[in-house]
Amino acid sequence: MLIRKRMAAALVAIGAVLGAPGVVAAQECELKLGVVGPFSGGAAQWGIAMRTGVEFAVLEVNSKGGLPVGDKKCHVQTIEVDAKYSAQGAASAANRLASEKVRFVMGPVGSPEVSGIKPVATRYHMLLMLNSYAKNAIGPEWPLAFHVSPGPSGWAAPLVEVAKEKFGMENVVIIAPNDQGGTDIAPVVAKAYEQQGIESTEEYFKRGTANFSPLVARVLDINPDAVDLVSTPTVEAGTLVKQLRQAGFEGPIGKLGGPGTEEIARIAGGMNVLGNYYWFEPVLIDEQTEKMTQRYTELAGSEPPDHTFFYLWAAGTRMVLKAISEAGTIEDTELVAQTLRELPVKDKNLGDGLWIGQKFFGINQELSLPFGMGIIEDGVQQPMIRMPAATGN
Amino acid sequence: MMDHSVVVGFRRIMDRAGWLALALLGAMVFMPFLTSDPLAYSIGTQILIGASGALGVYVMLRMELLNFAIPGFMAVGGYAAAISASHGVTDIFALAAISFMLPGLLSIPVGAIVLRLKGVYFVLITYIFTEIVQLVLIETPSVTGGTDGLIGFPVLQAFGVQLTAYSSTFYVSLTLAALAFLVAIVTTRIFRQQFSSIAQNDVLAESFGLTLWRYKTIGFFVSSGVAGLAGFSLVNMLLIAHPLSFTATSAVNYIAYAFIGGTGYLLGPLLGSALLVSVTNALSFSGEYSEGFFGIVIMIAVLVARGGLAGALANLWGKLGPRRFRQDYPRPASKVSVKGAQ
Amino acid sequence: METVLSTVLIGVMLGAQYALLALGFTLIFGILGVVNFAHGSLYMLGGYLAYAAVAKAGVPYPAAVVFATLGTAALGYLFEVWILQRVVDDHLATLILTLGFSQVIITGVTMVFGHEAPRFTFPIVGNVAVGSLFIPQDKLIVFAISAVVICAVYWLVYRTGFGRAMRALSIDRAVAITLGMNARIIFPLTVALSAGLAGLTGSLITPILSLSPHAGESVLITAFVVVILGGLGSVAGATAAAFLVGIIEAFSGVYIGGSLGTLGLFVLVIAILMFRPSGLFGASMRGA
Repeated sequence: MLIRKRMAAALVAIGAVLGAPGVVAAQECELKLGVVGPFSGGAAQWGIAMRTGVEFAVLEVNSKGGLPVGDKKCHVQTIEVDAKYSAQGAASAANRLASEKVRFVMGPVGSPEVSGIKPVATRYHMLLMLNSYAKNAIGPEWPLAFHVSPGPSGWAAPLVEVAKEKFGMENVVIIAPNDQGGTDIAPVVAKAYEQQGIESTEEYFKRGTANFSPLVARVLDINPDAVDLVSTPTVEAGTLVKQLRQAGFEGPIGKLGGPGTEEIARIAGGMNVLGNYYWFEPVLIDEQTEKMTQRYTELAGSEPPDHTFFYLWAAGTRMVLKAISEAGTIEDTELVAQTLRELPVKDKNLGDGLWIGQKFFGINQELSLPFGMGIIEDGVQQPMIRMPAATGN
Repeated sequence: MMDHSVVVGFRRIMDRAGWLALALLGAMVFMPFLTSDPLAYSIGTQILIGASGALGVYVMLRMELLNFAIPGFMAVGGYAAAISASHGVTDIFALAAISFMLPGLLSIPVGAIVLRLKGVYFVLITYIFTEIVQLVLIETPSVTGGTDGLIGFPVLQAFGVQLTAYSSTFYVSLTLAALAFLVAIVTTRIFRQQFSSIAQNDVLAESFGLTLWRYKTIGFFVSSGVAGLAGFSLVNMLLIAHPLSFTATSAVNYIAYAFIGGTGYLLGPLLGSALLVSVTNALSFSGEYSEGFFGIVIMIAVLVARGGLAGALANLWGKLGPRRFRQDYPRPASKVSVKGAQ
Repeated sequence: METVLSTVLIGVMLGAQYALLALGFTLIFGILGVVNFAHGSLYMLGGYLAYAAVAKAGVPYPAAVVFATLGTAALGYLFEVWILQRVVDDHLATLILTLGFSQVIITGVTMVFGHEAPRFTFPIVGNVAVGSLFIPQDKLIVFAISAVVICAVYWLVYRTGFGRAMRALSIDRAVAITLGMNARIIFPLTVALSAGLAGLTGSLITPILSLSPHAGESVLITAFVVVILGGLGSVAGATAAAFLVGIIEAFSGVYIGGSLGTLGLFVLVIAILMFRPSGLFGASMRGA
C-alpha cells in the first residue's frame, strides 16, 4: 500500500516536472482580480451571487487561454476576501489585496462596504467596480471607482411610470430600513413617484426588526393605494408582505430596489399572497441569461445561484477585463480607467447600454444596461417587461 | 487573605504587565524595519484599535463591571475627532485630547445614571446607551452626516510635520494606543486598591468609608476616554466616521479581546486583540464559515486558558521565571458578578 | 378608538411572543447566572428543526414543534454538560462561551440549509373577527400556547421539587448541595429547559414572521430587555415585563414610527431601572 502510494507520488512529481514548462509557456502573465463582498452574514446571498458572476467572466476568458494583454495572454486569477458587510471589513480587505499587489477589484456590495473601501483603494490607486445604492457611491473624488449598475437615480423614474400605467395608484407609502441602505434610496424613489403625480410618504424601521405588526398597523392607518418596499432586505420584505396582506392590505406592493422576489414569495406564502406586485430586476431574465447559466454550468461544473446579481456582475467583469485588454496593461489603473470610460457599453448577452451618472454623481462612471421590471398580477407572474438602459435623466 | 510575600509578588507582576504592554507597543515602532507589507500595517492598526477598545473594557473590569458602552464612547470620540478635523484641527495631540476628553466628560452625567447599577443590570443599561448613541447619530444628520456618516479625514500632523506616508495610519494608532495604555496604567495603579475593593464587595467597602461613586466615576471616565481614543483611531483608519462602525453588537468583540487576552493583566487587551484580530483576518478567506471558526476559536480559548493568554503567560513565568517570582498562587478566575454579592 | 384597540391587541400579541422568549432566558439567568448569548440562535434552530421535520420528513406541524423543542433541549443539555459546566462560575467566561456557541449554530445552519429563507408558513391562516377587529388566528394560537407554557413553567419552578431545587441551588449552592441537591443534574436540566423553550418559541413564531439563519439576532436584545425589566429569575416578572414591552412597542410603532419609537422604549427602560434597580419584580438582593 505504502509502496503504491510512493510510486503514485513519484509519477505525479515526474509528470509535473515534465508538464511544467508547457504550463509556464502558456501563462506568460498573471492578472490578479480582487473580489470583495459580503460572503457571510445576512447579505451573503448578494456577495455569493456577485462572486459567481465574476468567476464566470474569468472562466470564460481563461478557457480561451487567457486575457490578451498587449502581445501576451494573461491568466486571470481571482482573490476573494469577505468584507462582512462592514466598513472595517472592506477597508481591511482592500489592505489585504494591496499587500497581494492586486490592482483591480470587483465589488464591494452595499453601502457600508463601499464607504469603507473607497479611501483605502484610492490610496493604493486601485480600480473598483462596485455596487451600492448610496447617494455618493461614486463621485469625482474617486476617479477610479465605477458603478456596476445604476441606482434608483437611473431606474426609478421609468419603473414608476409603468407601474402607474398598470396599477393607477395616486399615493404610496415607501418603507425602508433606517440606515444608509434605506435612507439613501427612499427619497430618490419618492421623488420619482412625485414626478408622476403620486403623493408619497416615507416610513422607516429599525434594521433587524422581525415583527412588523406595529408598522403595518401604522401604514394601514394612512390607507395608501400602494406600498413600496424599496431596498428593504429580502427577509424583512417577505415578512412585511406577509403581514401587510394578512392585515388586509389589498393594493399593489412594489419593490423598487433590491431583487429577491422568489424568496419574498416563499416567505410570504406564495405568489398568490403577493397579489399585485411589481419590482426592479437589475437584469432582464430571458433566453440570453439562460444561455449564461448554461455556459457557466458547463465551465464550472455546477449551477450558479438563482440570483440576478450573477448576470450583472458577469457583465461588469467582462467590461473591466475588456478595458484591461484594450489598454494593454495590467499595472496602470489610470490608463485602464480611461479606456473603460470610453468603452462602448455592449454585453454579448445583456445587450447595449451606455455610461451614465454625470447628472446624479458628477462623474459618468455608472454602467447602464437594459434591465427588467417584474410584474405579478393577481398572483400570476407576468412576462418580465424589458426596460431599455436607464439614461439617468 | 493572601500573605504578604504573595501580595508583593503579585503586585510586581501586575506592574510589569503594564510596562510590558508599553514595551511591546514601543517595539512596534520598529515595524518598518521588518516589513513594508500593507497587510501587516493594516492588521497592526486593527490590533491597536481593538486593544484600545478592549482596554476600556479592562478598566471597568477592575471593578467587576462589564461595560457595553465602549462602542458608544468610541463613536463620541471618533465623531468629535472627525468634526474637529473638518474645522481645521489636524494636530494629532490636539485631536487626541479632544477624543479623550469629550467622551470622558460625557461619561460623568451618564455615569451618574448607569453607575448606580451593577452586574447584568449594568450590562444592559450600557448596551442601551450604545444603542441610544446609534439612534442619535442617525437622527442628527446636520451634525453627524446621519446614516451616511462623515466622509473624508484630512492628513494629520504631529509636531508640525504632515503625516503622509503609507504607514502613518499605523503610527497614529500606535501613538493613540500608547497614550491609552499610559493613562490606564497610571489610573489602575493609583486606584488599584479602591477598584479591587469595589470588585470584591462594594457594600462592605462603602461601610468602611469608601466613596463608591467617586472611584466608579474615575474608572468610568478613564474607560470612556480610552474608548474615545480608540474611536479616533478607527475613524483615522477608515477615513470615515460612520454609525455602523460603532454598533452595540461590536461591543462583544472588545469584550472578547479583553477576556481572551486575560482580564487580570493590563497586557490582556493587547494580547487578546492581537490573537483574535489575526484570526479574523486569516479567516476572511473562508467566507461563510468564518463566523463558525471564530466561534470555535473563542470557545477553545475560554476553556483552555482560564486566565486568558496573559494569565497563561504569567503562570509560565511563575513556573519558569526567576526564583523570586516563582510561587503557586492560583489566579482567581474573573468573577463578574451577574447575581450580585455571592 | 378602533386604532387604540387594535394597537392594544398588537401589543398583547407581541407580549405573548416576548413572554415565551423571555422565559427561557430568565431561567438560565436566574438559576445559573449565565447570560445566554446563544438564546437567539437556539430560537432560530428551533425554527429550522421544525421546518426540516415538516418539509423534509413530512411530519405534521404540531409534531414538528415538539420535535424542535426536544431537539434544542437536547442540544442545550449537551452544551451544559460538555462545555458550560467547566466554567459555570465564571460569568464572563460563560458569556463568551455562549457567544461562540451561537456563531457555531448559525454557521452550522447555514451550511446545511443555505443562506436563503426557506418556505415555512404557519398551517393555519386567516383572521378571526371580534367585533370590528380582526385577529390573525396564528397569533391567537401562539397566545394560547404561551399562556399554557407560562403556567406550566410557573408550576414547575414554584410548585415542584425540581423547581425548588433549582431555586435553592441558585440562592446558595453550597448549602443546597449539602442538603442533597445535585447541581450536576439540575444545571444541565435547567439549560435544557431554557433551550427547549427557545426552540419552542422559534418553531412557533418563525413561520408567522420569517425564518433565516439570522432570524435570532433581534430576538436576543428583546429577551434581554424583558428579563431585566422583569427582574432576574422571576417568571411572573418576565411575563409582566413582556406584555409591558409589547404594548409600548406597539404604541410607539403605530403612533411614532421610525427609530424614535425605539428610543422611547429605551428611555423608558432606563427610567424604570432608575427607580427599581432590580426590575419590576426582582428581589433586591439579586445583583443590583
